[in-house]
Amino acid sequence: MEKTAGREGRPSFNRRMGRHKDAWIAAVILVPMFLFWLVVSGFPTLFGFALGFFEWIGLADTPNFIWFDNFIDFFKNPVYTDALWRSIWLGGLVTFITLAAGFGAALLMNMPLFGKGFYRSIWYIPAVTATVATTQVFNIFLDTNNGVINNILKAMGKEPIVWQYSVGWGIFWIVVYSVWKGVGGAALIWLAGLQSVDVSLYEAAEIDGAGRLNKLRYVTLPGLKPIATYIVITSLIGAIQIYEQVLFITNGGPYGQTEVLVFRIYRDGFWDFNLGMAGASSLIMALIVMVATVLYYNWSTKSDKRTTIPIKPVIRKGKRGESHVRNAKGEF
Amino acid sequence: MSATRKENFKNQFKPAYLIGHILLLGIGLILLYPLIFMVLAGFFTKTEFTSTVLSIFPIPKQPTLENFKELIIGSADSSVAMYFRNSVIRTVYNTLWAILTSFLAGYVFARLKFKGREAIFLILLATQMIPGTLAIIPTYLEFARFPFAGGNNPFTGGTGILNSWWVYLIGGPSINIMGTFLVKQSLEKVPLEIDEAAIMDGAGTFRLIFQILFPLQLPIMAFIAITTALGTWNDFITPFFYTTSDNLQTLPAAITRISSVGASPGAVIDYPMIITLSMGITIPALLIFAFFQKYIVQGLANTGIKG
Repeated sequence: MEKTAGREGRPSFNRRMGRHKDAWIAAVILVPMFLFWLVVSGFPTLFGFALGFFEWIGLADTPNFIWFDNFIDFFKNPVYTDALWRSIWLGGLVTFITLAAGFGAALLMNMPLFGKGFYRSIWYIPAVTATVATTQVFNIFLDTNNGVINNILKAMGKEPIVWQYSVGWGIFWIVVYSVWKGVGGAALIWLAGLQSVDVSLYEAAEIDGAGRLNKLRYVTLPGLKPIATYIVITSLIGAIQIYEQVLFITNGGPYGQTEVLVFRIYRDGFWDFNLGMAGASSLIMALIVMVATVLYYNWSTKSDKRTTIPIKPVIRKGKRGESHVRNAKGEF
Repeated sequence: MSATRKENFKNQFKPAYLIGHILLLGIGLILLYPLIFMVLAGFFTKTEFTSTVLSIFPIPKQPTLENFKELIIGSADSSVAMYFRNSVIRTVYNTLWAILTSFLAGYVFARLKFKGREAIFLILLATQMIPGTLAIIPTYLEFARFPFAGGNNPFTGGTGILNSWWVYLIGGPSINIMGTFLVKQSLEKVPLEIDEAAIMDGAGTFRLIFQILFPLQLPIMAFIAITTALGTWNDFITPFFYTTSDNLQTLPAAITRISSVGASPGAVIDYPMIITLSMGITIPALLIFAFFQKYIVQGLANTGIKG
């Protein structure tokens, strides 16, 4: 409890300290947490950025400052540029399929069906499973000798496929796995978006004679804009960093043809001990993710303005001189 | 819409609705199929699993509960029960820290006024943009070589705290930034009068935080706890990269070790063991999900809209 004044008309301790009390509590709570965060997260991140500027191969070697050589190597060496390019298009593909399928599912889940909660749950279940565990089930399916799919092919009298030696099939299964894991989450977020669209707009559209498709086109899609920004950006950022499924399904093979950039970072760091190159690749990855985030954010906020601007002149032109439109002085 | 329950029930059999049901259920079952396969395969004995020709629905001739038993009670020649225990310890520890740190930090940024508050919060949020994989190798070096754990030389190597419980103890209690953000957002909606009334009644900061504000945030805390628990439970990176000894492994790391990634080249992959361990990871995760799915779904929806 705060006293208004002390005996000699002097403000009480609490009163005097009042302005600084918040800061004290904040410091007591935040400083230990922040120090800890610096040790386990802040410092390794900065250290990771710094690693890119050193040549540091092997475990007993001393680091050698080489300016931007690692970065130049990165863009000269097809191993890295291929991995980077594969990250980008694979991430884009996975995002596109996941979001499209998720959107379809969300439209279905938005119908007044019985058992909606049940459907939402079973669609989301793959997302809560561990990549480590569920990719192994995929591997049992794809096993060359006694895999389920090859057993079926054999039973049908066809040649079994050696999935692990085919780049196309490797990528295919990585995409299938990623979509399997991601589609439920995407559907849930789209669903949240669909349910946040103003119901009165649908009623208005119905009165204007809009059919199912027109309602989707003119009410639902524009209403989903904010959530689309969120889900596209987060999915893309996530998908560009896919590597666990690559690690467990193809392990980068055959001959590194399914490597993605983050997988490459892991390989450089833990197989080849090429720590400088791993740092440089990480830094490039981080920059791409940051630039993508900022660009997309700017673009989406700008395009919001763009859709609203053209409407105004149209109204002003059409209704100029009419009594209910404000004139320059703001009168009717 | 004033449709009665009966009319609504009739509606379910209109063509559009029927198609909706069929698609959602059909594709849903396809999505569940790998997990169904996993559970069915769990009833095989190890010898039978490797000797049978696997089909789409593998039905064992002599169903056994050995694998489930090994998972929970353990057996003489395997450490599965120990991996399971390590996973549980690590998950509980990290979850408690996530709840504590995200709530306290969220409280600080939502309620207290001090210089540089917005700046610090923005810096924290910005670090979310940096991919986590960037820190894997530097963290390894830090754990292995930096002298805070016993005088190892930064350049010429060492083991530091690698391969000890310290990896798990230190690797957990950082700041949960996403959680901090969520708590801040939701605390800002709680009227300040509640704080004032509590202080009037003689509550200190400590009481205010834990007895008054915390219970109001239970749904959001549940979301943070569940996502952290699932994330830690499923994480293989920390144990796989930073520990080597068998008695520190968790379930995911153990799988990684015996799968094609960790096994020596040419070794036959022990699929029955992998199935047992996979069930050990998946079934508890599904149970967590089943009990708390309301919060996960709500939380996902909330983060989505605010995003």
